[in-house]
Amino acid sequence: MAAPLPAEAGAVALTAQNVTIRFGGVVAVAGMALDATPGEIVGLIGPNGAGKTTFVNCICGTYRPNAGTALWLGRELLGLSPHALLKLGVARTFQNVASLHDLTVLDIAKLGAAVRAGSGGFFASEKALEAELTETLLRPLHLADVAHTPIQTLPYGRRKAADLARALAAQPQLLLLDEPVAGLTSQEGMAMAAVIRGVRDRFGCAVIMVEHKMDVVMSTCDRIAVMAAGSKIFEGLPEEVQSDAEVQRVYLGEPG
Amino acid sequence: MSTRRLLLALAVAAVLIALSLLLGRFGAYLVRAVAIAGIGALSLNLLIGYCGQISFAQGALLGVGAYVAGNLGNAGADGVLALLGAGAATAAIGALIGLPALRLRGLYFAIATLAAQAILEYLFKMLEPFTGGVSGLVIRQPAFFGLPVASDQVSAAVSVLVLLITWLALTRLTRTNLGRAFLVVRESEVVAKGMGLDVARTKAWAFAISGFVAGVAGGLIGFAARLASPEAFTLDLSADYIAMIIVGGLGSWAGPLVGAAFVVLLPEAIQRVGEAFDIANLLSALRELAFGLLIILFLIFEPRGLSSLLPRLRWTQRRQTPGAATGFGERAGAAVATKGGERP
Repeated sequence: MAAPLPAEAGAVALTAQNVTIRFGGVVAVAGMALDATPGEIVGLIGPNGAGKTTFVNCICGTYRPNAGTALWLGRELLGLSPHALLKLGVARTFQNVASLHDLTVLDIAKLGAAVRAGSGGFFASEKALEAELTETLLRPLHLADVAHTPIQTLPYGRRKAADLARALAAQPQLLLLDEPVAGLTSQEGMAMAAVIRGVRDRFGCAVIMVEHKMDVVMSTCDRIAVMAAGSKIFEGLPEEVQSDAEVQRVYLGEPG
Repeated sequence: MSTRRLLLALAVAAVLIALSLLLGRFGAYLVRAVAIAGIGALSLNLLIGYCGQISFAQGALLGVGAYVAGNLGNAGADGVLALLGAGAATAAIGALIGLPALRLRGLYFAIATLAAQAILEYLFKMLEPFTGGVSGLVIRQPAFFGLPVASDQVSAAVSVLVLLITWLALTRLTRTNLGRAFLVVRESEVVAKGMGLDVARTKAWAFAISGFVAGVAGGLIGFAARLASPEAFTLDLSADYIAMIIVGGLGSWAGPLVGAAFVVLLPEAIQRVGEAFDIANLLSALRELAFGLLIILFLIFEPRGLSSLLPRLRWTQRRQTPGAATGFGERAGAAVATKGGERP
């Protein structure tokens, strides 16, 4: 078990190389490479079907890639189960939030915290954990007032925030966000972007964020990788991405 | 658990036990039957209602409990020890039955449990030294904590006590990480896995804990009947228990108890009506029919079960008050109300 290493600022924590996955004859991700350092928000953009979510699914254990490596603080991540990854400090959120009928917002946050030792036992009092989760996560995510409300009854934006709270409750060092603002109003989206930056500032974790909303991506990410047809076609600062001719052509649309 | 809830549970226990001791023989017999069925239904509700694993092997698991507790009791073990032993053995067998669930889902797994039920029924007949074969195992009622269980009233009180302990333990369990994981596994294994839950381990626990409780209930059935025989623990019994949790309301904790009372008392009521109007033979034939019809009607009109009627009848006012359900002290009631009822 890797102890949560206090990664040095600027040190590369995640190094993914040559990640490749095929579904039958379709090569969904072909030789994808991506780095992330602690405290950095990396945006992953690209047209539909570029393989962004599939790449994230490879990193976080949903899919088993055919080739490639993804080293996290020197440990190979590919092939590990999401359960094992969570113990290593790798958490993710989902594009579509699952319907979990009877669970409340606080329940789902506690489930996220379940990887931490000493929580949620049969005789354990959860008052302290509840107070901590409410203060550190639910309040910043504007969920404190609905802590005891079943997820199912909440509007979409708040369900996504609850999913983020669940991922953060595990105190991850690498956070993978799959379209965190998709389906939100632009106001909610900007609020979510602010929360993501706040999370990075407070926890110092590395964040990889798949997203389509360009205003959010440009204002949130420190670095952006552009995927098309399963591989990376460009990587650079947000302003560089906007001015790159190839990215313009495949993704942002032909000028004029 | 709050102290207030614990005190309330103790008070309810004391009242119910006192009442059981004051009942006539027939009343005690009914209370015991409902209490034991309630324990078995709580066990199955954990597995089906909370973890989403459909099992048709509950009847056979109750049988395992009855045979193990019976043998331990006959060998001179204290009743408490015999019940714990029955629970442990049945937990192991329950976990074994759950193994295919690591690969199979939904109906496919349910079919696998049908096979388990058939195999266990066969073993009940074949393992003669342990089960007494086709003629069954005669069971002596053991003493509990050294105190003899001299009458049906006392054994009813014991059953009620075990029911309350089980109820407290299982409702507490659903407020642990494991209990919450059950709910996520029930909704979607893919989501559970993606969230980083250990799905295999979660299911294994569901089968083991449900099995343990089934074993205890089976042990009580054996002590009450003074006999464990293969024909008492057939697929019919499994079906009865599935009926209980459906009629009562899947995934609530009041449901299994309401359902158990309904399923146990309905035949008695039909019998009484039959005797009163001298049409007992006709009605006993209709019993199965009425039973099946009721379950279908419940699935159509009240899929959340009888227990969902209770909060609607009594807590309607409270639920409509904004914020009433968010206070922490109200959680017990609110949880039932939310589960039981309409959602927006």
